[in-house]
Amino acid sequence: MILRNLDEGIGIALDSLRTNKLRSALTILGVVIGVATVMAMASIVEGVRTQIFNAMNTASPNTFYVVRFFSQTPLNPQHLPYEVRIRPPVNDRDAEAIRRMPEVEHAALWVQVFYRLEYQGVQTQTVLIYGADQRYMDVLGGTLLRGRFFAPGELDGEPVAVLEVESADRLFGRIDPIGKRIRIGGVAMTVIGLYQRPENMFEPPGQQIGAIIPFETARRNYPYDETNGLFISIKPHEGIPVTRAKDLSIAALRRARSLRPGMPNTFDIITQDQILDTISSLTSAFFGVMVALSSVALLVGGIGVMAIMMVSVTDRTREIGLRKAMGATRQEILWQFLVEAATLTLLGGLIGIVVGLLVGVVLKQLMDMQSGVPLWSALMATVVSILIGLVFGLYPANRAARMDPVEALRHE
Amino acid sequence: MSDRVIHVEELVREYPMGGEKVLALRGLTLSIRRNEYVAIMGPSGSGKSTLMNLLGCLDTPSGGDYWLNGQEVSRLTDDALARVRNKEIGFVFQTFNLLPRASALHNVELPLVYAGVGSRERRERAVRALTRVGLQNRMHHRPNELSGGQRQRVAIARALVNEPSLLLADEPTGNLDSTTSEEIMRVFSELHAQGQTIVVVTHEPSIAAHAERVVVLRDGKLDSDTRNRAAA
Repeated sequence: MILRNLDEGIGIALDSLRTNKLRSALTILGVVIGVATVMAMASIVEGVRTQIFNAMNTASPNTFYVVRFFSQTPLNPQHLPYEVRIRPPVNDRDAEAIRRMPEVEHAALWVQVFYRLEYQGVQTQTVLIYGADQRYMDVLGGTLLRGRFFAPGELDGEPVAVLEVESADRLFGRIDPIGKRIRIGGVAMTVIGLYQRPENMFEPPGQQIGAIIPFETARRNYPYDETNGLFISIKPHEGIPVTRAKDLSIAALRRARSLRPGMPNTFDIITQDQILDTISSLTSAFFGVMVALSSVALLVGGIGVMAIMMVSVTDRTREIGLRKAMGATRQEILWQFLVEAATLTLLGGLIGIVVGLLVGVVLKQLMDMQSGVPLWSALMATVVSILIGLVFGLYPANRAARMDPVEALRHE
Repeated sequence: MSDRVIHVEELVREYPMGGEKVLALRGLTLSIRRNEYVAIMGPSGSGKSTLMNLLGCLDTPSGGDYWLNGQEVSRLTDDALARVRNKEIGFVFQTFNLLPRASALHNVELPLVYAGVGSRERRERAVRALTRVGLQNRMHHRPNELSGGQRQRVAIARALVNEPSLLLADEPTGNLDSTTSEEIMRVFSELHAQGQTIVVVTHEPSIAAHAERVVVLRDGKLDSDTRNRAAA
């Protein structure tokens, strides 16, 4: 019976929409805003995720890292918790112990610091500077566009730098940077090469790679953070599963650090999967917060729908009386108004989906990100907007359903 | 017995009013046979509106019994009453009560929607009902595009479309001029001639004159019950 009268319900809903265009538009505005927010967020989050997954797949899927302590947020070096302080920082001997294993292609101690690059008064923003060894690109990928990478002889502290191409463009424009002297965080370095990072490589905002310099050069010239900045990067041989390489590395490190069985590790290992999980949980958290915020808009929208449905029910008291006289049961009247409310919110939801996707596209253009097609969130938004109509329409619809036909017909 | 469309016995309806109870009907007994054409009259406050609501199954009595077409309906639930109204009763109101944004055809289809009739059959039956009241050329007009008389005929078509056992009209000419009123009363007479049972509630003797039987209420009781020899 309910399905049979759906066409009547929707017809009535569209009718009342047509007669009260402005009122209906204002009513569904809250739902439009709420759904649009969720959709925009969903499409951005989806885009970021796609980007991360692509990056992990193309850049360096097998590379993993040893750090002093793994935490999802950077630790304050001035106030390290006890469980971090008792651990020694990762060092050259650790890297050497892992490098000696036959399963490992390369392992080296690297450091990351953040500085501006400067050339003749032109500055970049703060960028990520890697202090690494000559095999950086074997481990993290990328291509050398011009010039050369470090020679082994330069590893003991020569002031040379391989510039990332975007930073180079910013500093030099059309001038050839090779051989020029730039300043990195105030320290003079000679540019010996131009490097392009792998396509789709994921870089968190504010962590764009700007330059790669020899590890020793970085160690001597810059203060660095032993917990957040210092790490060993490890690339296993082709065909060695990451989990196996990870287990072997743990064993090698425990031997190097003379840890007896039963003693806990004094280091942490981070694999790409963990990074992925971390980023994924961060984006989920971000998305969750956005959903929570936009659900406030949805709530307001729902209350608006409820208010307008109350008005609609009062306005149409006589019509309700007539329909009851014609034989409509309570359930049928209830259903009629629920369908009307749900039609309103569904319409708001559909508009919200379109608006949200447009906002998402614009934001993605502005932020130079990839696009994701969040089909699941469009479906969710549709379902949610119908639900809002049903939930917030229930009270007014129930009021209509319980009207006394005699009273309703007498209503002026 | 089965010939009686309506049989009420000792019907009582009281309304609470400011802590006291007001008796609108004080024990009314009345029978109406199939194909009778009855006018219910009475001054305001006589209880005729209350009776009309009870006969139309829009309301339930405080006491007494009501058999509609042999079924005891005085103690049914709201939804059961809705079903009875849908099946047994066709209403014609003083103010027409048409849906303003729906075509004549859709207005007439309304009771069939609640009867669960499929859309094709709905359309066919609505067209037939509108043809019966002479509006086959106005089916797609909206109420505001129709004259008062035409609107009331749409309402009559709507009342007939479910083939009810009782056509119940409440001051059907109250909003119409005298020429149009005559026209509407002629429609009622034709329907009566075709076998329809009709009850008209009115306070106008000229309207009541069209009925074959006039029931007059006073103070919630039967005052008189007479046959009009003039009407056939």
